[in-house]
Amino acid sequence: MRIVIRGLSKSYGLVWALKQTDLVLEPGECIALLGPNGAGKSTLLGLLSALLHPTTGEVLIDGQRLDQGSSPLRSAIGLLTPSGHLYEGLTLRENLHLFNSLYGVKKSPQEIDEALDTVGLGRWREEYVSALSSGMKCRLGIGKWLLLQPQFLLLDEPYGVLDGSGVDLLESYLKRLCRSGGTVVMATHHVSRILTLCSRALILRRGELIFDEPRQQPWESFHRTFAEFLPRGDQWSS
Amino acid sequence: MELLRQTVWLLRKDLLLELRRRESVVAMFFFGTLLLFVFHFAFEIPPDRAAAMAPGLLWLAFIFTGTLGLTQLFQAERENHCLEALLLGPMDRAALYLAKVSFNLFLMLLVEVIIFPLFWILFNLAFWELLPSLFLVALLGTMGFCVLGTLFSAVTLKARARELLLPLILFPLMIPVILATVRGMEILLRTGQFEEAVPWLRLLVGFDVIFLTAGFLIFEWVIEA
Repeated sequence: MRIVIRGLSKSYGLVWALKQTDLVLEPGECIALLGPNGAGKSTLLGLLSALLHPTTGEVLIDGQRLDQGSSPLRSAIGLLTPSGHLYEGLTLRENLHLFNSLYGVKKSPQEIDEALDTVGLGRWREEYVSALSSGMKCRLGIGKWLLLQPQFLLLDEPYGVLDGSGVDLLESYLKRLCRSGGTVVMATHHVSRILTLCSRALILRRGELIFDEPRQQPWESFHRTFAEFLPRGDQWSS
Repeated sequence: MELLRQTVWLLRKDLLLELRRRESVVAMFFFGTLLLFVFHFAFEIPPDRAAAMAPGLLWLAFIFTGTLGLTQLFQAERENHCLEALLLGPMDRAALYLAKVSFNLFLMLLVEVIIFPLFWILFNLAFWELLPSLFLVALLGTMGFCVLGTLFSAVTLKARARELLLPLILFPLMIPVILATVRGMEILLRTGQFEEAVPWLRLLVGFDVIFLTAGFLIFEWVIEA
C-alpha cells in the first residue's frame, strides 16, 4: 500500500504534538519511528490509524483519503499495542472470533485455533484474556492481525513486553508482511532491535520530523542525529 | 444486513461479559430494591392515593437504577482500549449504538420484571390485573430512557467526572419520557382503561422513534469525537 501524508499536524489545545509532516510510505517498507518521549510518535500512529482527527492535513491510502468513520479502507489498517486491544472477560478464541466477525473476515474455528497455535497460545485458547500476561496479550494481538491480514500495520512499542521467541514471532510476521507488499510503521525505543529489521528510519523531535532516510551501512547521519536522545554515557552502534 | 450481523455480535459479546461478571445487573437489582425499601419506609400510600403516587415512585426507582447501568455501559470498552479496537475497524458505528441500546434495554427490563411485582407487594397495592398494561407503558418509557441514555453515555465517555455529568445532562432531556410514562401509568391506574392512556403512549412512541433515529445517525460523530 502506498501511503501519502500531506501537511499533517495535530494540536492538543496550544500544544502541537505533530507539526506539518509530509511523508510517502511505499509498499514493502518497514519503517522505524523513533524519538524521545513526547516527540509525537503515538500521535502520528493515531493519525495514521484514523483514531485521531488531524488539525490540518490528510492521509491518503492508495489515493483514497482516510477519514474517521466506518470506511472500508480501515480493513487494511492494523494497530498492534502491548495491551492487544482485547476484551478481558472473553476467552482468547472468543476475542479472535469477535474481531473476525466485526471485520467481516470469515475464519473457521480451525483457522482460529491454528493462529493461536502459531503465536504459542494454543494451550490457553479457552482461558480468559484477563488471565494472560502482558507478553501473552501482545502475542494474541499478533494472532489477531495474522487472521485479519492488514496491509498497513502500525505498532506501538511492542518489544517491551515480548520475550525472545515473541520477538522472533513478531519479526518473522513483519518480514512476511513487507515481502508481500505491506507497509509497517513501528514506534519503539528499542533502537538496536528495530534497526536490524527496518528499511527506513524516521526521527521525530517535539512534533517535527528531523530525520528521514533509508537504512544504510554505515549510517553516520543516523548516529549523529540519534545520539542526543541516548542516555548519558551510552553509545549507539550499528 | 451487515449492520444487523455486527449488532448481533456486539450484543452477544455484551451479554456474555455480563453473564460472566454480573456486575451491572446485580448492582442495578440491589439498588432498585433498596430504593423500594426506602420509599416503603418513607411513604405510606393510602389506597385512594395509589394512582397518583405509585407511578412517580416506581419510575424514580427505574431511572435511578437505569442511570447506574448507564455509567457501566461502556466499561468493557474502556478496559484495554477496546473502544479503539472497535473504532479501528471497518465496523458500522451505528451497530455499536444499536447493540448498546439493546443491551441496556435488556438489563433494565430484567430488573423491572422483578421490581414491578415487588413494588406492588411492598405497598400492598390492588390492580394486579393492570400489571401487563402498566408494564407496556414502562416498556416504552424504558426504551426512551435507553435510546437517549446510551447516546449520552457515549457523549460523556471521555469526560473526567462522567458519573456526575451523565445524570446532569440526561435528566432534563428525559422530562418528556418521565412525564408521559408517569401520566400514562397514572391514568391506567385511575381509570383502568388502556385507551385513556393512548395519547401518552403515542408521545412515548414518537420520542422513542425520534431519538433512536437521531442516535443511529449521529452516533458515529459522538463516539469518534
